[in-house]
Amino acid sequence: MEYVIIGNGVAGIHAAEAIRRQDPAGPITLVGDETFLPYCRPMISMVLEGAVPMERLPIRGADYYEKLGITPVLGRRVTSIDVDARRVHLPGHPAGIPFDRLLIASGADPRPIKADGLDLEGIFYMRTEAQVRAMLETLPSVKNALVLGGGLVGFKAAYGLVRRGVRVTQLIRSDYPLSMQVDRTAGEMILAELVRKGLDVRVGVAATGFFGRGRVEGARLSDGSELGCDMVVIGKGVLPALSFVPRDRIDIDLGILVDAHMETCVPGIYAAGDAAEFFDIARKTRWVNAIWPEAVIQGRTAGMNMAGRPVALQGSLSRNVIRIFDMDIMTGGWVDPPDSEGFQVVRRIDRRSGAYRKLVLDGDRLVGAVMVNHIEQGGLLIALIQRQAPLRMSGEKLISTGFNYRQLLN
Amino acid sequence: MKQVVVHPERCVGCMQCMIACATAHSKTQTLFTAVQEDPLPKPRVHVGAGLYGEGFPNRCRHCDPAPCMLACLPGAISRDPDTRTVVIDPDTCINCASCAMACPFGVIRYHEDASAPAGKTVAVKCDNCLDRQRRGQVPACVEACKSGALTFESTGDAQRRKTCEVAKTVSRDAGFEQLAPGFSMLNTVKRTQIEMAHR
Ligand SMILES: Cc1cc2nc3c(=O)[nH]c(=O)nc-3n(C[C@H](O)[C@H](O)[C@H](O)COP(=O)(O)OP(=O)(O)OC[C@H]3O[C@@H](n4cnc5c(N)ncnc54)[C@H](O)[C@@H]3O)c2cc1C
Repeated sequence: MEYVIIGNGVAGIHAAEAIRRQDPAGPITLVGDETFLPYCRPMISMVLEGAVPMERLPIRGADYYEKLGITPVLGRRVTSIDVDARRVHLPGHPAGIPFDRLLIASGADPRPIKADGLDLEGIFYMRTEAQVRAMLETLPSVKNALVLGGGLVGFKAAYGLVRRGVRVTQLIRSDYPLSMQVDRTAGEMILAELVRKGLDVRVGVAATGFFGRGRVEGARLSDGSELGCDMVVIGKGVLPALSFVPRDRIDIDLGILVDAHMETCVPGIYAAGDAAEFFDIARKTRWVNAIWPEAVIQGRTAGMNMAGRPVALQGSLSRNVIRIFDMDIMTGGWVDPPDSEGFQVVRRIDRRSGAYRKLVLDGDRLVGAVMVNHIEQGGLLIALIQRQAPLRMSGEKLISTGFNYRQLLN
Repeated sequence: MKQVVVHPERCVGCMQCMIACATAHSKTQTLFTAVQEDPLPKPRVHVGAGLYGEGFPNRCRHCDPAPCMLACLPGAISRDPDTRTVVIDPDTCINCASCAMACPFGVIRYHEDASAPAGKTVAVKCDNCLDRQRRGQVPACVEACKSGALTFESTGDAQRRKTCEVAKTVSRDAGFEQLAPGFSMLNTVKRTQIEMAHR
């Protein structure tokens, strides 16, 4: 059995490892655009912040590919897949690379923006270690930064730069950050904390263009004003990296559609991680949950199935934990469903201790949870959402800070 | 291979295991001096109260595959090959709490610890007292438990014993046999008290 994996991100490497555990000899070729050792992508923002040194990013050693018996093809992007001939094509391999089993784990690319002057120096996306390396080189000469977008990446960039002592202005569309991850109450708590620490947040304005002589010196905003800045970070979300995938053969919505075995509509071709769109346990519909723990588990599951062990996943689940200054935020599932869905919402807020909790219940099942501070028991709530087991206690009991594992045994 | 086995029906909630655990993971390893240490040693086993006040010594199950290990961002969580114990390397841990989100039992805490670099907050959980085991001692929580809620034995032995106990209760003329007689009475009393208070 010949295996080809596209993408040496976390989904790709977990798939390769799972294949190796089942199949000690089958040739595995791993094609990856990035030449750096397999590394922890979420940690690049901690490198920007200065909390973690660059050397700590790799999560596998220098002898990784050799030890696992993998042929790495790095620094190149797959350009097309020939579904009938069972080959992937890329520059430097005129005949293509043949496969019996293929995994598409190409992850996601930053969502591009439309604006003038994007080719100026000092304007960055933040997705790869190389991009953060470049940001760090510019950082000593940066006084005022502009961050576009209030999602996870924009938020982490803004936080990292504030921690570095840079004056940061952040433009966000909704009136609080992380609106895809948290509900309004938690979002406003986060915003207040960031503003208290010196972040300048502007709501409802966008950047229409950038100007400067070679290097960016300022931005023009949609309200007609101008803003001086010597660094710009674009964090307007991500899109699955699928330009090489034949849409007429492999079903794609936002991501590549996969079944419980991570298989696409073409037998033998699999997808996992940020590139894949899978059934969402809380929303009960297909959804791209572009997060690290999903990429790990989906990659691993794809690998097992590719090597002939039929393993099924129940679904994916959005979840996140974020620590900023002295504040901890954990969220999971569907945290802000529209009122029309008829879910029961239980909340508890303690302004004095800064603790906040919200649970979203669908009958006797938990579908969403938001916690600000006191997050140690959060994993239990996430597990309850993942299992979709009927709850044998009230939402009021579940939301109490005294809630613990023992109570699930009653 | 011996493991710590939890028998929830026998827990009286005395929390002696917590004190023993905190002491075993302190710098000085004796209670008298441990309480004066900075950082103050904290337990890695957590006795939580059930809905009716019953106790339960909640500790790391050392799952395989371990969700915390798969979720750990910097790769700080690994498995000790000899004892199958899941361990967190305090030097590699970045205190991101990804493991808190992954643990379905809620047994991971975040604080300074004698095992970590001074002043660094890290993820902390049960390590099966590997240091004690290497010295030929049983894990501290087991040593401290007087009610038999925590035992150190092979899971095979524990399962055989439990199978026998259960088998006795299903033979035709066996009455209902209490698995932990005194304890069930205690728990029934607690439960009734709470139910009466609510009425
Ligand atoms: C700054 C930042 C912070 C984040 N923080 C968090 C967090 O706190 N929690 C969380 O859960 N998630 C976080 N994430 C998201 C997380 O990093 C991703 O979900 C995860 O890395 C996805 O892994 P993946 O393997 O699917 O894709 P990727 O990590 O994107 O890997 C895909 C790889 O494939 C390569 N590739 C793409 N196309 C091709 C091609 N055609 N040919 C060859 N190679 C190709 C790419 O270059 C890339 O190296 C963060 C992301 C960023 C950028």
